[in-house]
Amino acid sequence: MSTNSEPIEALADELLAIRCQLGERAAFDVLIARWHEPVWRYLRRLANNDDVAGDLSQDTWIRVLRGIGALREPGKLRPWLFGIARRVAMDRLRFEYVRRGADDVEIDELPADDATQDLEVDLAAIDTALAVLPVSEREMLTLFYLRELSLAEIAALLAMPVGTVKSRLYRARLELRRALETRGAFT
Amino acid sequence: MNTPTNMQTGSLEYIRRLAQGELSIKARIGYVSLLLVAAAMTAVVLSLWLTEPVLPARTQAAFGVMSLIGGAWVSFALWALTARRPLFARDAVIAGTLAVVFTSVFVAGALGAVIVSGAAAAFGALGTGVVMLGIAVWNLVSASRRHAALAARRRELESALRTG
Repeated sequence: MSTNSEPIEALADELLAIRCQLGERAAFDVLIARWHEPVWRYLRRLANNDDVAGDLSQDTWIRVLRGIGALREPGKLRPWLFGIARRVAMDRLRFEYVRRGADDVEIDELPADDATQDLEVDLAAIDTALAVLPVSEREMLTLFYLRELSLAEIAALLAMPVGTVKSRLYRARLELRRALETRGAFT
Repeated sequence: MNTPTNMQTGSLEYIRRLAQGELSIKARIGYVSLLLVAAAMTAVVLSLWLTEPVLPARTQAAFGVMSLIGGAWVSFALWALTARRPLFARDAVIAGTLAVVFTSVFVAGALGAVIVSGAAAAFGALGTGVVMLGIAVWNLVSASRRHAALAARRRELESALRTG
């Protein structure tokens, strides 16, 4: 997910965070307009429920608005935002959040997206298949396919090495593929 | 999976409305004013209480209760300004200026009371006022420095983004 636009995006993120820290009300409008939907999508995937995602989104934004003034590294706005959303979700979905660390292995190269890359799959079927995956797999796939965070940022967010992120992502894709196959979603 | 619409909890419009309330400058200045008034009143009550040599038990109890109430309001305002309505850099400069003006007036009043009455309580209030003024000035200087640093970084970033 590394692109040439990343440094520009990082500078733009830092500028937006600093404008918020200065207290510019217009900057908060931009912040919310830019990040409301990605954060909501992430939370919706974790919660598997629109109403719960709405509540989580509200709690997340309250914490963001109250906390952005103290953000020490404004250039890390994205992982900070998703970190807050994640903590809010974990507080609510703690019973669902079973960490699966025992069989984690670190890998260097991310294998091809064999679950969906070469096949036309109904988007609604992906949505349904994702919903039955464990929350940790849903989270991993959502973070990756939102394409808002780099692998390094996802690793920092989840407090694990990049190799483990790749390994978990690979496993999550396999589980998604199995779920899709079970539903006969491939055409 | 569609994002919520209209005013559903978590919708864009809902979060915008939520932000309006959260970012209200009136609420922030209100808490700053509460902090200043409560601190000044507590300082006066404590000065009277601690400097009067002989006070009936009931009066002492009344001063004690008033001091506790004042301290509770000071604590509440401090909590609100750190947890619920933290000050952004511009707000902090405005709040710092307000605090310096307010505590200067308080010190001037206490100084007047010292000159006119020479009462021990007036000296106590003057001493407390000078400490409060010192804290207010220190806060204003810190807030101004932080604001200047953020504004400078903002200019750097805008320049970098313009030049690509």
